[in-house]
Amino acid sequence: MTARPGPTVFVVDDYAPVRSAISRLLRAAGFAVAPFASAEEFLAQYDPQKVGCLVLDLAMPSLNGLELQHVLAKAGSLLPIIFLTGHGDIPKGVQAMKRGASDFLTKPVNDEDLLAAVRVAIEKDRALRREQAELSEIRARLATLTPREREVLEYVVAGKLNKQIAGDLGTVEQTVKVHRAHVMEKMRVRSVAELVRLTQRCGISAR
Amino acid sequence: MSWITIVWSMNAAACLTLAAIYLVVWCKQRQVLAHLIFSITAVAAAAIAGFELAMMHAGTVGQYEALIRWIHVPVWVLTVAFVAFVRLYLHAGRPWLAWSICGLRTLVLILNFILTPNLNFQRITSLRHFSWWGGEMISVPFGVASRWGLLSSVSLLLRLIFFVDATIVVWRRGDRRRALVLGGSMIFGAILAWHVPLVIWGIIDVPFFLCFAYSGIVAAMGYELSYDLLHAAQLARQLQASETDLRETQERMELAANAAELGMWMWDIVRDEIWITDKGRALFGFAPLEKVDFNRFRNTLHPQDLESVVQAVANSLRTGEEYESEYRAVLPDGQVRWIAGRGQVEFNGDGQPARMRGVAVDITKRKQAEEQAARHRNEMAHLARVFTLGELSGSLAHELSLPLTAILSNAQAAQRVLAHGGADLAEVQEILNEIVSEDKRAGEVIRRLRLWLKKGEVRQHSLRINEVVEDVLKLIHSDLVNQHVTVDIELARTLPTVTGDPIQLQQVLLNLVVNACDAMADCNTQERRLLIRTGIENGNGAVIVSVIDGGGSIPEEKMEQIFESFFTTKEQGMGLGLSVCRTIIAAHRGKLWATNNADRGATFHFSLPIRKSDGRQS
Repeated sequence: MTARPGPTVFVVDDYAPVRSAISRLLRAAGFAVAPFASAEEFLAQYDPQKVGCLVLDLAMPSLNGLELQHVLAKAGSLLPIIFLTGHGDIPKGVQAMKRGASDFLTKPVNDEDLLAAVRVAIEKDRALRREQAELSEIRARLATLTPREREVLEYVVAGKLNKQIAGDLGTVEQTVKVHRAHVMEKMRVRSVAELVRLTQRCGISAR
Repeated sequence: MSWITIVWSMNAAACLTLAAIYLVVWCKQRQVLAHLIFSITAVAAAAIAGFELAMMHAGTVGQYEALIRWIHVPVWVLTVAFVAFVRLYLHAGRPWLAWSICGLRTLVLILNFILTPNLNFQRITSLRHFSWWGGEMISVPFGVASRWGLLSSVSLLLRLIFFVDATIVVWRRGDRRRALVLGGSMIFGAILAWHVPLVIWGIIDVPFFLCFAYSGIVAAMGYELSYDLLHAAQLARQLQASETDLRETQERMELAANAAELGMWMWDIVRDEIWITDKGRALFGFAPLEKVDFNRFRNTLHPQDLESVVQAVANSLRTGEEYESEYRAVLPDGQVRWIAGRGQVEFNGDGQPARMRGVAVDITKRKQAEEQAARHRNEMAHLARVFTLGELSGSLAHELSLPLTAILSNAQAAQRVLAHGGADLAEVQEILNEIVSEDKRAGEVIRRLRLWLKKGEVRQHSLRINEVVEDVLKLIHSDLVNQHVTVDIELARTLPTVTGDPIQLQQVLLNLVVNACDAMADCNTQERRLLIRTGIENGNGAVIVSVIDGGGSIPEEKMEQIFESFFTTKEQGMGLGLSVCRTIIAAHRGKLWATNNADRGATFHFSLPIRKSDGRQS
């Protein structure tokens, strides 16, 4: 499948008239739509690379909405999910939101509410994907560091001076300076503040 | 006066008396011809006695000759009367002999008046006078016998043969008393009559005493007839007694019928007249002396029951089966009375219905009680439906929200398409089509809801149970989806229709399905399978519906308890569901029961009797 430039809204609903009406509405609002009659059908054709969101019916025979959410979460998907339900099933809504649903709407749904939720979800997906891309970039840079440079980095982000680091590592200040320069270069940062921000996002703790 | 005059006169008098009595009897009972014949016989015998007496006292030959000529008239009458009596009363004697005797005797009578001086004598030369029986002087003829007299003798012989033959027939028939009394006296009389030719031929020297030969026969005939009369009188007395008994029985029956509030009636179908007891008249509001026919009865019937009653009567007349029906009669004051009627047709010899007898009884109180019970039951059923709906409200809201969602989203999509300009008309058309069809779907849901909640008269429809199953599945579809219950259905393809209220039957089935789902709430989703099956019950041919679940079993001791009111295992249950179901099914003359499955879970069945004379459902 070729990746499309625009985002795609995946619509999963077992009831054909609702599925087609929702799809039609989203298309009229300018979204690319991919409708599916069941959770299984969606799983079989879903391309995780595509940017977008999932409009998901809660009550479906066999695999229902909550179960599909669970399956996707286990597979590590970050696709935002907007749940649609026939009746305000509060316990299920709470459960869905706890598991990270983007939104929870009741049928019949007003177009503005649905479109707003879809826009938010798509933005969320975009942001998530951006962050994912950045993180992997940072991790790739981290991977280029030697073990010694990694050690130095942890001391640096902890806010220690070169002299202190040299003392702790049992080496001379000059060597630490060289390592530090390599770290800054490999991590492509110009200030310590920037380095701290990057390492925090990767979850690296200071020494 | 001498003995001879007294005896012959008494003989004649006795005969005349008998003749008079039986003439009166015959006048009262004209159909018995034997009485008239007997009367004529007795008159003839009396006449013969008179002629004989006159002959004994005849002074001249001319007088004697004339008397002999005229005595033939009563003799002819007597002979013909005897023959007729034997034929008509005894039903014996050969017809050819009877006709021969009558013919010969008539010939004798005619010749007697042609010949001079008469049939018996060529001439009487003189009269001999002598004293006989106590000194009275009597006359005896003396002359030359005519050869024509032989004809008379032949007729006498034929008569003897005729009597003997008839007597044998009667004897063989087993009627021995009659054979002895009547036959015996007739044979004896016929033998005795042979003294006439002997006297004429001058062989014996006695006066004619034919009257005694015949009066013996007359006495025997009189005895037999009086025996019959006595017998008839006896029968009449017995009849009267039995009629009295009958009347008493009738009175007792009427008393019992009145006590039981029964109106008895009898319909003479041929004359179209209805006889009916006073109680019955009061039941239908007929006036005490009013003439009642079928049409009058028909006019009292409530319009809604008219056809069924007329049908029931017609059916009974056609098949001879017992007539039975329950109907409403509208009394003159407008009051409506429920009546149960039963009757039996009686057919005449040609197999045509002749009469119908039966009873009518006031069942208004029972009907009112039944109606009240039905109202009560229907109210309970309605309450239970409202309660069930409460449980299902989520499911129903879902059912409605689906089409509403499709409608709203389609409409808003159309707004957007149109707002952007350059609308694709085909797409708008498609949108509108979907809106229309979804709106209809929502309307259908609402219609079902309204039916479900309707609190009204329960109507008995002829319905197909498979359609009830399908309707229930539509009602509860979303609930089943939500609860992950998979439903399998096995519907028999050809089922007879049943009679009932579709909503109440849906209610029963829905209750059973909801219960089955609840029973499987703790199972894995894969195990939540429900089977609904329809079919024919073995033996009585009733339609049976089974709801088979895979949940827990019902403890044996609770098998019946579960159908009682306020028995529940659910936290929110009222414990009315199954008890209401059972009353509904009972009101449909069906059965509702539960069994445990061999492997797991329980099955609830209900059976409904099929409609009479039903075609098969295709």
